[in-house]
Amino acid sequence: MKIKLLFAALVFLAQQGMAQEWLVPEDQKSVQNPSEYNLDNVKKGKDLYLQSCKSCHGDPGKNNALPLVPPPPDFTSDIMQANTDGELFYKITHGRGGMPQFETTISEDDRWRLVNYIRNFNPENEPVLVEEPPKKAKILASVNEEQRQVEVFAEYQDKDSNYVVLAETPISIGAKKAFGTLPIGQVLTNDEGRAEYHIPESLIGDEQGMVTLVIDLGEGFINEDVVLDAAKVGQPKPTPKLIQKEVLWSTNENIQVWLLLSYLAAVLGAWGTIGYVVFLIFKISRAGKQE
Amino acid sequence: MEKTKSPEESRKLLDKITFDLTRSIVKRDELTRFWYFILIMFAGVGLWGWGIQIRDGLGVTGMRDYVSWGMYIANFVFFVAISLIGFLISSALHLLKIKWSHPISRVAEQVAIAGVALAGIIIINDMGRPDRFLNVFLHGRFASPIIWDVTVVTTYLTISVLLYYLPLIPDLALIRDRGGDDIPTWKMKVYKIMALGWKGNAEQYKLVYHAMRILMILIIPVGLSIHTVTSWLFAATLRSGWDTTIFGPYFVAGAFVAGAAAVVILMYAYRVRYRLGEYFEDLHFDYMGKLLVFVCLVYLYFNINEFWVPAYKMKTAEGIHLRNLFVGSFAPMFWWTQMTGLILPIFLMLFRFFRKPLPLTIISVFVLIASWLKRYIIVIPTMEHPFLPVQNVPDYFKHYSPTSIEIMITLFSFMAALLIITVLAKMFPVITIWEYAEEKGIDKKILAEPKK
Repeated sequence: MKIKLLFAALVFLAQQGMAQEWLVPEDQKSVQNPSEYNLDNVKKGKDLYLQSCKSCHGDPGKNNALPLVPPPPDFTSDIMQANTDGELFYKITHGRGGMPQFETTISEDDRWRLVNYIRNFNPENEPVLVEEPPKKAKILASVNEEQRQVEVFAEYQDKDSNYVVLAETPISIGAKKAFGTLPIGQVLTNDEGRAEYHIPESLIGDEQGMVTLVIDLGEGFINEDVVLDAAKVGQPKPTPKLIQKEVLWSTNENIQVWLLLSYLAAVLGAWGTIGYVVFLIFKISRAGKQE
Repeated sequence: MEKTKSPEESRKLLDKITFDLTRSIVKRDELTRFWYFILIMFAGVGLWGWGIQIRDGLGVTGMRDYVSWGMYIANFVFFVAISLIGFLISSALHLLKIKWSHPISRVAEQVAIAGVALAGIIIINDMGRPDRFLNVFLHGRFASPIIWDVTVVTTYLTISVLLYYLPLIPDLALIRDRGGDDIPTWKMKVYKIMALGWKGNAEQYKLVYHAMRILMILIIPVGLSIHTVTSWLFAATLRSGWDTTIFGPYFVAGAFVAGAAAVVILMYAYRVRYRLGEYFEDLHFDYMGKLLVFVCLVYLYFNINEFWVPAYKMKTAEGIHLRNLFVGSFAPMFWWTQMTGLILPIFLMLFRFFRKPLPLTIISVFVLIASWLKRYIIVIPTMEHPFLPVQNVPDYFKHYSPTSIEIMITLFSFMAALLIITVLAKMFPVITIWEYAEEKGIDKKILAEPKK
């Protein structure tokens, strides 16, 4: 029943969505992009894209958007690129149907940067941000428990298949938690491919303060994550005592004394009396034999 | 008490009383056999269902993740409820020196024993792994109402059995000494053992009175706590519909309604079947009718409190619950229960005509059915709306309807309860002979006389 309703709702929405063009007011169409089309802005646009757009629109050029109705177009597609800058900005700002509005969550400047990122895939434009094929890389890492720091050394494989130091590259440090890796920070490698990361005091580990650290290179590299097992660099996890005080519904370990005594007194009282009555029954039997 | 009669008169009267009141023991005919056959057959079918449940687990019931208390628990509460009448009639009314209730005491005790014994069995019914019942004793939490419940149920059962047995001792001796030749010898042997060599001397009477008095006093707190603790199983939670402070007295009052109705039905059955019209007189039915009206009124008062107060506030969850009961999916059952279980009986029983045996019995049947449904309404609707806001939960988690296995096992419990009552009625007199004889003015010495 519910599936049917959902289906009907989807069909209805789809008709609504497809029936009309997404019309943008004329004066908005021709608004010029105030932010410059350069690497910096495109990079920031990409970061925003990863946060807010990728989950529906997918990876640019891979046509792996979510199968929604109407379908979210790929950033490289003609449908997307046929928009003017002003139209893109308007649509990001106001949203429609399945596409949310970003007026309240992304600043105006950043929205324009997103437009720049989209334009990076326009065939008429010279792309400023070119995704290189991922390179093979290796990380070595160790943790210094006393100084609470992680020491990292990274290398990558260059064109001639030689491993060379990986300089000026962000390395992300995370802590393994029950539901995945919690990112705790990033550090840049120096010219020698080395980096030192100071673990924040506030990091909470397990009951003993042990933390399993995960060291990872960002996108663009193929490498195995380095997992540093159980290092004592975190604060011990406070174990909440579920029943802090003696309460009425405590477990037997910290039951309220008066409750236990009342229970036992009532049980002993009742069964003691029953025992007495049984004794009286024996007495009745004996009284019959006396005569 | 009537005037002491002459020995001659007394002996004649005692013979008549003994003859009448042992008729149930003697009587063996096709109807008895048929009744036993029906009871044992249906109980057997129910046991077969229980076997299936033990083999396949609780999945064979309609209970799922949210509705984890179903028909069994409703049935449990019902049986605990009817058992409470034992303490009202055979103890409270006795201690208040209310005479008319004396012949009814043993009937009330029969209901109490059958009810509380089955209540215990139903709890084990409700367990997917009955063998884990032992864990209650091994790992139970003293602070848990479940432990208290197990404790009071066993205590109440023991006291009820003793309170049934004690006044029976002189009767057994009486039948042993004066019983007709048509009583089967094996029964006579049982009586001889159970009579404990009763001679009827002053010392023995004193001891019986003393022991009975102790039990009558003891059963009052135990009886009150058995149903109060049962109510706490519900009221100690935060669920709407159960989260209320008056559940204890509400349950106790409701229990008296159910139990009184059960006793009236049983009285009528004995009156007709064993021709005891002179013992369960119209007067007894009249008083029982008045008692039923009284406890119904008390229960109605609690009902009004129970629904009016939350209905005035209509807190979100309570509102859902109340709408569900008053106009929602449970409305037909709810209004049927309130009308046929409380309002109409109260109104009708105000008239003398409806307190005559047959009309009162018919009313009692309706009251008893309604009080079973009432327990169903207390347990299931609350379970059907989970306390937390939840999403994406399959519908069958939230809706409950009993399966045929559950109905079979519930049927078993009814049949087993009737079987216990029948065996007690066929085995022992349904009225305390010596007490009755004494009230008719027969001297204790004559009771102790052996048969001519």
